[in-house]
Amino acid sequence: MTETASLHGGRALRSRSWSRQVLAALLKRLGARIGLVWIAALVLVATFAPFIANSHPLYMVVDGAASSPALRHMEPLDWVWLCGFALAVVLLLLPLKAWQRLLGWLLGVAACAAFAYATVSPPALTIYEQYRELEADGRVERLIRAPIPYSAKDYLRDFADTGIEAPLAAGDGRVHWLGTEENGADVAARMIHAARIALGIGFIATGIALLIGTLIGGLMGYFSGVVDIIGMRLVEIFEAIPTLFLLLTFVAFFGRSIYMMMIIIGITSWSGYARYVRAEFLKLREQDFVQAAVACGLPLWSILFRHMLPNGIAPLLVAASFGVASAILAEATLSFLGLGLVDDPSWGQMLNQAVQSSTFNWWLAVFPGGAIFLTVFAYNLIGEALRDAVDPHTQRTAGGAS
Amino acid sequence: MLIYLLRRVALMIPTLFGITIVVFVVMAAAPGGISAQSLVDGTNLEPETRQALEDYYNRLYGLDQPPPVQYLRWLNNISPVGFVREADGSLGTFSLWKAPDLGVSFRYGRPVTDLLAERLPITLLLNLLSIPLIYAVSIAIGVQAARARGGRFDVASNVLLLGLWSVPTMLAGVLFIGFFASEQYWRWFPTAGLVRREAVDQTFLPWLGGPGDVLLLAVLIGASTALLVWAAACAPTRARRLGGALLGGVLGYLMATDLHGPSPGGLHLLLALCGAFACGALAGLPSAFLRIAFAGGVGLGLGVGLARVAGVEIVHGGYLFDRGWHLVLPVITLSYGGLAFLAKLTRSSLLENMAADYARTARAKGVAEDDVLWRHVFRNSLLPLITVSATLLPSLLAGSVIVESIFSIDGMGKLAVEAVQTRDRELVLSVTLISGLLTLAGYLLADIAYAIVDPRVSYD
Amino acid sequence: MKLLEIDGLVTELSDGRNWLRAVDGVSLCVHRGETYCLVGESGSGKSVTALSAMCLLPFARHRHPGGRILLYPDVRATPGERPGGHTEAVDLLRADEAFLGSVRGGRIGMIFQEPMTSLNPVLTIGEQLDEALRLHRPELSTQERAERVVEALAEVRMPDPASRVREYPHRLSGGQRQRVMIAMALICEPILLIADEPTTALDVTVQAGILNLMRELQEARGMGMLFITHDFGVVARIADRVGVMRRGELVENGPVGQVLQTPRHAYTQGLIGALPERLARAPRPPLQPRPLVAVRDLQVHFPVRRGFMRRVVDHFRAVDGVSLEVGAGEVVALVGESGCGKTTLGRALLRLLEPTGGSVELDGRDITRLPRKSLRCLRRRMQVVFQDPGSSLNPRLPILTTLIEPMRVHGIGRDDEDRRTRAEQLLERVEMPADSLWRYPHEFSGGQRQRLAIARALVLEPGFILCDEITSALDVSVQAGILRLLRRLVDEQGLGMLFITHNMGVVEFLADRMAVMHEGRLVETGPTAEVLAAPRHAYTRKLLAAVPRLDTMLAATD
Repeated sequence: MTETASLHGGRALRSRSWSRQVLAALLKRLGARIGLVWIAALVLVATFAPFIANSHPLYMVVDGAASSPALRHMEPLDWVWLCGFALAVVLLLLPLKAWQRLLGWLLGVAACAAFAYATVSPPALTIYEQYRELEADGRVERLIRAPIPYSAKDYLRDFADTGIEAPLAAGDGRVHWLGTEENGADVAARMIHAARIALGIGFIATGIALLIGTLIGGLMGYFSGVVDIIGMRLVEIFEAIPTLFLLLTFVAFFGRSIYMMMIIIGITSWSGYARYVRAEFLKLREQDFVQAAVACGLPLWSILFRHMLPNGIAPLLVAASFGVASAILAEATLSFLGLGLVDDPSWGQMLNQAVQSSTFNWWLAVFPGGAIFLTVFAYNLIGEALRDAVDPHTQRTAGGAS
Repeated sequence: MLIYLLRRVALMIPTLFGITIVVFVVMAAAPGGISAQSLVDGTNLEPETRQALEDYYNRLYGLDQPPPVQYLRWLNNISPVGFVREADGSLGTFSLWKAPDLGVSFRYGRPVTDLLAERLPITLLLNLLSIPLIYAVSIAIGVQAARARGGRFDVASNVLLLGLWSVPTMLAGVLFIGFFASEQYWRWFPTAGLVRREAVDQTFLPWLGGPGDVLLLAVLIGASTALLVWAAACAPTRARRLGGALLGGVLGYLMATDLHGPSPGGLHLLLALCGAFACGALAGLPSAFLRIAFAGGVGLGLGVGLARVAGVEIVHGGYLFDRGWHLVLPVITLSYGGLAFLAKLTRSSLLENMAADYARTARAKGVAEDDVLWRHVFRNSLLPLITVSATLLPSLLAGSVIVESIFSIDGMGKLAVEAVQTRDRELVLSVTLISGLLTLAGYLLADIAYAIVDPRVSYD
Repeated sequence: MKLLEIDGLVTELSDGRNWLRAVDGVSLCVHRGETYCLVGESGSGKSVTALSAMCLLPFARHRHPGGRILLYPDVRATPGERPGGHTEAVDLLRADEAFLGSVRGGRIGMIFQEPMTSLNPVLTIGEQLDEALRLHRPELSTQERAERVVEALAEVRMPDPASRVREYPHRLSGGQRQRVMIAMALICEPILLIADEPTTALDVTVQAGILNLMRELQEARGMGMLFITHDFGVVARIADRVGVMRRGELVENGPVGQVLQTPRHAYTQGLIGALPERLARAPRPPLQPRPLVAVRDLQVHFPVRRGFMRRVVDHFRAVDGVSLEVGAGEVVALVGESGCGKTTLGRALLRLLEPTGGSVELDGRDITRLPRKSLRCLRRRMQVVFQDPGSSLNPRLPILTTLIEPMRVHGIGRDDEDRRTRAEQLLERVEMPADSLWRYPHEFSGGQRQRLAIARALVLEPGFILCDEITSALDVSVQAGILRLLRRLVDEQGLGMLFITHNMGVVEFLADRMAVMHEGRLVETGPTAEVLAAPRHAYTRKLLAAVPRLDTMLAATD
């Protein structure tokens, strides 16, 4: 018998479930707080992008008629983001279990998406220049613009001779806080819309990889034998190909839509999660409470999903946090190499433009590159803090029960 | 042990098959697939000539066959046991020892083996330079952080290392090129490639004006290096910090002068302050090894600079120096990520082992704390480092892809990107095979190294 | 002649934020040639006291607000003793690091509890022994050191010492590693040996050998020994003086005979009274004749694979033909050392492992080869409680779910309300408060968790319970409560119980019959009293002789 932490004197604790405990331990750490603040800022920016950066004015009165071009031109995807955000806030406030919240959110978003794509249809032709023309003509009585009055795809064709311009350097009445990129579009607007791509790809690709990895890893861990051998060969194959190279191959051959990229990044990164889940399941199979559950005659699904899986997700959470960071990095790398999304703005693509011409356009390197760095850094900070929070040793010393 | 090795090598083969099958399936399943169509598209030919060209390609590469047959033909080509392929594409006799033929690249029109032989050494050079650098520096940082656990160095380095690890390789490469290798800012490093045209014809070592110049250069380098190393090793902490800050400030000011002229301005102040802060912190490091290494480097540079000022005539830098000068930025860009990761791993592994039972036994025997670290804990802490080194090589290979693209180095990474972009089937498969082989070999070497270092592990 | 005097020691430990007083005013004295045993339950501060004496506590996380630890000068005429000796007692808490370095290993040797992890796995034992010599006897040449190392190994009765020198620790057994530790601690001939529970992790027979060895070495060298333990049997066997610690304080102190036979402090009386051999035994109701569980010639063999194709070359016979019967209302104890196969037998009995041969009958029905579906209904009748309180309950579920879920699956109770009432009644029976239902396992202590595990086993109203060393990880006083609870449950409900243990005192209190297992076979079975009084098999005799029992020791010293 070793000296235990019963030196504490057996203080009674408030009753808290494991996920609450981990959350509390996470929020105590400064690194996690900083990371979460940045991610929250990104989410806000991404959700409200149409209201932050838009060539369409938010509210306009022309010739006595009031209208809101911004609202009229909103895409179904914009509505889905807004609904998803609202739903998430509502679900967080309700007293539900974690998995119920997740499931509810997914279903809600799916329903919203179906509804939005069915009903919302913005005008097909978008002419960004018309508002500036109207203003020049003097027909506008009231105009409320978005804080950044440029859209991501507004190439400013009505101003002649636009190209890459440094921040605040453009003449003729335009103000670009972060400069413009090579097609003339505003960097700040493109960065804000690219935040959506980054977050979306990060979460969905990691979600796909988690799903595949947990399934295969769980099967391997629970039923050893032939299933394990085949599974391990699969894992080894996907591990041995350098991920970037497989990504390159996939993307070059399969095309560059955003959904394809999500799936591809997800498919190439599941092997790590499978290994973790397999290792955890192998360990858990021998744990006493699992054996007791078997001895009680509990059905298989209960043993797997109620007893084994919740106890095995700790390393998965940590790995998933780092995984989101690497998914965002993968997308940025692909865009950088010219293999990314075609028309949608992306941080990596703007970074590429920094060194393409003979001059070094520092604002295209510092701002989009900085955004990538800060996002990856934030996820890494959260991952590190999670790792400390789920580690039973640090849990004990941080005031856990004895 | 031998049996284990044989088993592992035997198990590598199905994995290699699997890798090539996956890549082949991806290529074949893609819209457009692999066919002669893509090769003749875009050429301005008469329909009959175009058809003839297509037929030629089809026969030569077997591109009109269904994908499984194509895969088998490719397997046959690369294996040393199989059917010999005739010049016009048909299969000849079966032989037990024929040369593995990796095919001919569609895009370049040259045998793949030649291309790989040209490019692989370059990538290997980059990676093999990075690996020792990574290990040496990360172990030094990790040891220092573990020794002064909870101290300022430890906390600061933890955050810095995490930040360093988070910086994307592309960003670092772009910033390096943009600031240190471009026309607008400091032109300290070359912009592209691995070697200048002229340098190939130059002598291997630098060629100086005369023996007097050589002597002067040697004296100046020796004196400045010795001075700085002595100061770094022996001077008290306050003096070191002050001296370092002063040196850094001057260097920063000189950097700004290079750009904007000697009159003081905003940039001058900013750079002087940054330089002072950075050099002061580095000079005040508790780890003697890192301080001396840093001081040595600065001393060398200072010596060369003083020699230039003193009028030493350097006719040309020589092939060795030119190569090194071109390699500095790519190697740094390639290795800083792995360095940060390994340093954190070293630190956590060391800390875990310093609290282990056997370390306590050693202390109970009367072993001093430093000896506990170096003689007992260190070797045990290397074990996770070795395990991780298995994954280091694949990540470096992936990093090479980006680094080579940014710095326009003609290595295998760049070749891989080009191959994929042009759907060059032979090249893609061959590059996949080589990188898969290297990765699996890396795993195997790591396992063997583990068995050597840890006597508990025996593969029987 | 005094060697070490601890005078009013106060030690505080930090966990990063709070300082906790682990040792509060402990005073004791170890003399030359005597063994001082420091006894206490977990958390009493005895290990911290020992580590304080050697100043081995983690650097930034401890402080000593008060007290002294005096090391007296060594007046032996030992050749080669390090100079710099002192003529009066030195306070180790205020000594400098250089002096402490010479004391550790040179004047005071220490051995620890876990032989598995206490030796450096990457150095040979010869190198590790040599290092100690190099530090404290620098005047010896390489050759002399090598000879001394072999001598030291021979002294601790290591078989074939000359060739063992080049071995790595992982090739030795637990007992052999502990001998190496002793050799390493004693190789520089210290005058005092501190032993922190050195035999707790070892098998009983191995423990007996190590204790004898330590006693012999102490007498041969005239050393003093500070021995920390929680086992009163060990105390009775080797101690001259005893100190009892509780929550950082030394509550009783004196010669061994006096403390064990006529303890003065209430806590010591309670501790000794809680020993299983001292627990009062209630009269047992008469047994029913029909066997509940019958095991016939059970075999569990594990294949051993070697070679390139991993072919099966041999079988490891964990259980090799065991026949046993457990009736309703009786407790059968299964005794044996580690590795004898008792745990495997238990699991095969419940079909948590598949037996390779033989049969298991429950209520007269052969369940060995039943398919899973039919087995599920029968699982109600057989339940299990495990050893490790840390992993016996699912950490993610509140106790309510853990208790209700099996009821739901087997259709006990009309609805969840009814099941909750049953759960509350069950908690009352295992003497736990009703609001435990809403708590999570990490909020309970080890003993409480074992009670909850017993409640979970009882929730399906089984007829047979397997208890696999359930009290081995618990303190003596906590164990007493659990044992009394078990006895009551068996008597009241007529359960059949197979109790796996290695503690003879528990067997004596709890079991009606006992079976001794060795290398996969049962070597002896019979009623407890008979087997304990007159063992027939040689192994049983060896086992019983090796177990340190308080009463036998006391009888011997009288």
